Amino acid sequence: MSPLQEVASDKTASREMTVCLVGMPNSGKTTLMNALTGGNFRTANYPGVTVSLLRGRTRPELGPVVNIVDLPGVHSSVAPSPEEELACTVIEGKHPKVAPNAFVLVVDATQLERHLKFAGFVAHQEKPVVVALTMVDLLPRVHQVLDLEKLQSALGVRVIAVDARTGEGVRELLSALQHSVEQPVLANALSMLPNDPAEAFHSVRALLQKNGALQQTPRAHEIDPLTAKLDQYALHRLWGFPIFLIVLISLFASIFWAAQPFVDAIDSGFASAGQLLISVAGDSIPARFLAEGVIGGVGAVAVFFPQIMILFFLMTLLEDSGYLARGAALVDRPLSALGLHGRSFVPMLSGFACAIPAVFAARAIPARRERLLTIWILPLMSCSARLPVYALLLAAVMPAAAWKQGLSLAAIYISSLLVGALVAGIASRIVFKYRNPSLLAMELPVYRVPRLKPILRMTWARGSAYLKRAGVPITVVSAILWLLSNFGATQQSFIASTPMDESFAAQLGQKIEPALNPMGVDWRVGVGLISAFAAREVFVSSMAIVFHIDGDEAAQQEGLLEQMRTATFPGTSQLIFTPASIVGLIVFFFFSLQCFSTVAVVRKETGSWKIAGLQLAFYTGLGYVLAVASVQTLRAFGVA
Amino acid sequence: MPVTPALLSLAEIPLNQWRRIKKVEGPRQECSRLMDLGFTPGEEVIVTQASPLGDPIVIRVRGALLALRKREAAWILVT
Repeated sequence: MSPLQEVASDKTASREMTVCLVGMPNSGKTTLMNALTGGNFRTANYPGVTVSLLRGRTRPELGPVVNIVDLPGVHSSVAPSPEEELACTVIEGKHPKVAPNAFVLVVDATQLERHLKFAGFVAHQEKPVVVALTMVDLLPRVHQVLDLEKLQSALGVRVIAVDARTGEGVRELLSALQHSVEQPVLANALSMLPNDPAEAFHSVRALLQKNGALQQTPRAHEIDPLTAKLDQYALHRLWGFPIFLIVLISLFASIFWAAQPFVDAIDSGFASAGQLLISVAGDSIPARFLAEGVIGGVGAVAVFFPQIMILFFLMTLLEDSGYLARGAALVDRPLSALGLHGRSFVPMLSGFACAIPAVFAARAIPARRERLLTIWILPLMSCSARLPVYALLLAAVMPAAAWKQGLSLAAIYISSLLVGALVAGIASRIVFKYRNPSLLAMELPVYRVPRLKPILRMTWARGSAYLKRAGVPITVVSAILWLLSNFGATQQSFIASTPMDESFAAQLGQKIEPALNPMGVDWRVGVGLISAFAAREVFVSSMAIVFHIDGDEAAQQEGLLEQMRTATFPGTSQLIFTPASIVGLIVFFFFSLQCFSTVAVVRKETGSWKIAGLQLAFYTGLGYVLAVASVQTLRAFGVA
Repeated sequence: MPVTPALLSLAEIPLNQWRRIKKVEGPRQECSRLMDLGFTPGEEVIVTQASPLGDPIVIRVRGALLALRKREAAWILVT
């Protein structure tokens, strides 16, 4: 069953109640969303807004269906981040597309004061409010006793304890909601709360103490002992960084090694599907288009899916356990010196798998300027689509020296991080006019044993969002490129099926050949570079096509290497793939933003073509200039 | 003769000492965010840890743990 099943059309939605989940970050909203909808929600994007809301419908077995909208976490109505602004617009009933009938205020039971302070803003809207109390199971760990009945009478609204992991209280919450919308909304203690933070905190504390709802008033020294203990290690002066490094290395290892069997299976699966199609449907042009252009294009996306899913799974796991925030605190100092934010490390790390999920992950950075700067450097992170390209080029330049290839690859990865840091540092000082960093003030949540089911649901939701965002453009571009490399203008006809050498792609490659010569390569490599805009690893298969290599992938790589060693510029005996030109190509792939999907996703996330287009032009231009510069410099020093 | 203790900021006080917030003073928007997070005058706070690089520091307030840069902690003055 897909969790991304059809969501109600607007027509049915209008007859159903819409309820918004409101709460501070880390209040457990998204887990509650999972429990209410059974993971059946989707991210809903609205035009003009770069922030997405999670939208879903309650599971039918929970009673009458309710539309649930999970609003971004809010601290206050003085809204500095786009997420908070969106949440406040919805709460105030000013959003054109989301009209809530009632609110669920999601409140961490162990931090009542902090989480109820914002309740006033919600209760002022004169719409029904029900409080959902989360983390109730943690109350003993912080030595607190809470009397729900008394809390309810102190606040004047229904209070339901929910445990999103077991689904306990979820049914009760929904029936309380149904009940609340049938009643007139009365003034209550929450709607009397002042807006000023100091006064609001004071009033909330008074409310909680008035009838003894909360015993042992929460004071900071009652914080969870397990968290205090673990933080002694996680943030330890000596051990903090080694632990962080071990976590990162394990993460990388799982992304690359654990995913490998799946990657291979998917790869050969799509290849045989293509061959099967041709053998069944006959070797006709439409069949080859479907097999190579379309199925091959879907395969190019699917091949990254295992890595991306493992990445999302581990990231969600780390987030859920509470460690991710500690990691952000550890690296905040160097990153903020570069104009980035402690939380930038998550997107940067994801960028080593794929820039697309990394751009999504940048949403967690609260200030816009730091989020944009993070997105700006993400294309530099050495994504896994570059890996097959580097592998091919390094094998061509350093045959029979596997350790040298490995070392060079490691150097490329580390340089991509360093160059990213350099670009961020320069850009923040010059372009972004970086003066004062935004506020860090980041909550370090209590450590918890991660919960598998919600994590799996979240992983699936994020993974399928990736497939949708990246899948369509890559497939379309790959199909177009197939057409371009299999059709060309001939003397008989404007468009005809032609061999690769006479195709539109070859013609295009020949057109740009003058630009390629300074890089030391000919039009055939140009075709590879153009096709790599679908996805960088397509470079390898395109090279196989232009150099007329057949066979499965292993044979392709061997044959291609052999062919590359002897390939010369047409009509001459001058070798194309010399150490200089290969270094040039590596430099080009290092910088160039050869990925239309990334450009599309950056456009979507930043809300305009400006940054996406600038990024494409800047990195691709930089890649070209530096590639030419390194080829010419190497030649000047006598390296062929 | 007893000397009136001078106001120190959260960035300056030693680890693991409970202090009471006197005032929050600094850039307006940032300070109002700090108040939203729970740093209001009269509240008790404690610096529990410094991160390995010395910045940010970890502060307990109203039952929550928050990582604050020293620059931000310097706006919170305690007695």
